[in-house]
Amino acid sequence: MTMTDPRPLAVVTADDRGAGARRRRRKIVSYSILVAFAIFYIGPILMLVGASFKTLPEFFKDPTGLPESVELENYTEAWSLASFPSYMFNSLVYTVVATTLFVVMSVFVAFPIARGYVRGSGALLTLYVVALFLPPALIPQFQLILNFADLPVVGNLLAIWPEGSEKQGLFNTRTGYIMFFLTNPIGLIILVNYIKSIPRELDESAAVDGCSYPRFVFFILLPLIRPALATVIVIHAIAIWNELILATIFLTGDDKYPITRGLLVFEGVYGSDWPKLAAATIMLMIPMLVLYIFLQRYIISGLTSGAVKG
Amino acid sequence: MAATKQNLFGGGRRALYPWLLLAPGLGFYLLMGVGPSLATAYYSLTDATGLRGLPVNWVGFDNYDEFLLKGARGRQNIDVIQRTLVFMFLVTTIQFGVGLLMAVLVNQGGLRGRLIFRTLFFIPVILGAVVQGLMWKLFLRPGGGPMDTVLGWVGLESQFFAGPSAFYWVVLVQIWANAGFTMVVFLAGMQTIPEELNEAASVDGATGWQLFKNVTWPQLTPAVNTNFLLNIIGSLQAWMLFLILTGYSSPSTRVLGYLVFAEGFGQQGSGSFRQGYAAAASMVLFLLVLILGMTANFIVTRRERKYLG
Repeated sequence: MTMTDPRPLAVVTADDRGAGARRRRRKIVSYSILVAFAIFYIGPILMLVGASFKTLPEFFKDPTGLPESVELENYTEAWSLASFPSYMFNSLVYTVVATTLFVVMSVFVAFPIARGYVRGSGALLTLYVVALFLPPALIPQFQLILNFADLPVVGNLLAIWPEGSEKQGLFNTRTGYIMFFLTNPIGLIILVNYIKSIPRELDESAAVDGCSYPRFVFFILLPLIRPALATVIVIHAIAIWNELILATIFLTGDDKYPITRGLLVFEGVYGSDWPKLAAATIMLMIPMLVLYIFLQRYIISGLTSGAVKG
Repeated sequence: MAATKQNLFGGGRRALYPWLLLAPGLGFYLLMGVGPSLATAYYSLTDATGLRGLPVNWVGFDNYDEFLLKGARGRQNIDVIQRTLVFMFLVTTIQFGVGLLMAVLVNQGGLRGRLIFRTLFFIPVILGAVVQGLMWKLFLRPGGGPMDTVLGWVGLESQFFAGPSAFYWVVLVQIWANAGFTMVVFLAGMQTIPEELNEAASVDGATGWQLFKNVTWPQLTPAVNTNFLLNIIGSLQAWMLFLILTGYSSPSTRVLGYLVFAEGFGQQGSGSFRQGYAAAASMVLFLLVLILGMTANFIVTRRERKYLG
């Protein structure tokens, strides 16, 4: 490709007209591919919504077509048939409590690491980065929770803690389940990266004014890193809300199940009653869908930040 | 990371604040995350069960020996490892291609509705495996389901998740569920490409394909690398959709992560609670991730040097 164009003006214009046709053709091709993908993406969602409005005989007669009328009966029935109010409540408690604790603790980890206020902060950061490669931890986690009473020092806390027992440790307790969600390496890395962009002079002037370390982090730093906080909160909350495996392994009581686990129980019992199952599935996804629509920006930037920095 | 900086918030007792306040977060990470991960190596050398009170005995490499080398079970496990690798290969390559195609299409400035497409393609990522799985169980329903009907038009038939091709249907759902994430990583990379580069190339008369090959693709190197690595590691460790879509009863849809869960926790009809054995399987999975991740990383760094100097 040369910079100088030796062609006469008229040829260039004809060429431009060709470029216009090419652009139109490209647009048509683009839309065709996008729409093909879109059908594939929206199809299963529409099918789910459609099925949730059908009566069972209607579904068996024609599972694919549009429902004859929009009835909310499946929703109300599914809601009352299984312990969905309790599942939903549990999911909310796990998500809110664990996310809050996680964020507060993580800010106090991320800030000194980002600033180098603690010795070995580089090594600490590495400790979080390698998490991606480490072996699946399920087996030792199980042993830890089950044998929690045997742990030195913290094991004794079980005696005064309202949940848990000498016999089963923190197995089948809300406390044990929440403890799994007090860490999130990716969230921490996002916080560290963001705090690095806050000028250090701020620390200096605050310190000169006599502001203490905890005060600084809580009242000056926290408001400044709001975008990163939003991102971390959202990705962490979604992960907790959608968790199934830990709930399957560590919770055995129906009264402690989050909604993901509850939905599988429901599937086990009403698996062939697709209209009700579809309604229940939609009830599980609606909170996250709403969250996503409002916080799309944060979710996407959060999931990719740090990942594409080269 | 620079050397330790002077903590500005006072000396003496107050110099301890950063450590004191960091301790809970770091403590939980060590206790619930890193610690258990590393302890997997220890448990893989024992006969641990999931029952409290039973002694945990050291058995050396017996679990590995049994997992990989002994009898029909061993051969079946080798199949599981192979299947995990096939799953990784299919998901990584196709998801990479689909995600890139989506990103290129959605990134065209003049294209109307591109935000809607972007939102739509990303939705499955936030829904989680339970919803993804149940949705597709319904969509791929034999006996009048939409896909069944479409296949019927061209004279095909499938039992979907209950039939011999179940594995490939799960591959499809896995890609559907995560291609949006791959797309978004590519999009983030594309946004860092300076506009002048594209303009300069257009002025030079570069066509769409030339523009992609000579400008977008090399400039996209960091995003390419990220996706490559994340896809490999993610698909090696993925197994949730198998749990929801096919279950553990059919050996033809067992992957390594699922095996760990089934053997270790007596779930899904395997009946055993052999946590030492399951820990050995975890370590095999870890080695696969390590070897393939390192190899990918090596290839990626060489590529980066080639393109970005």
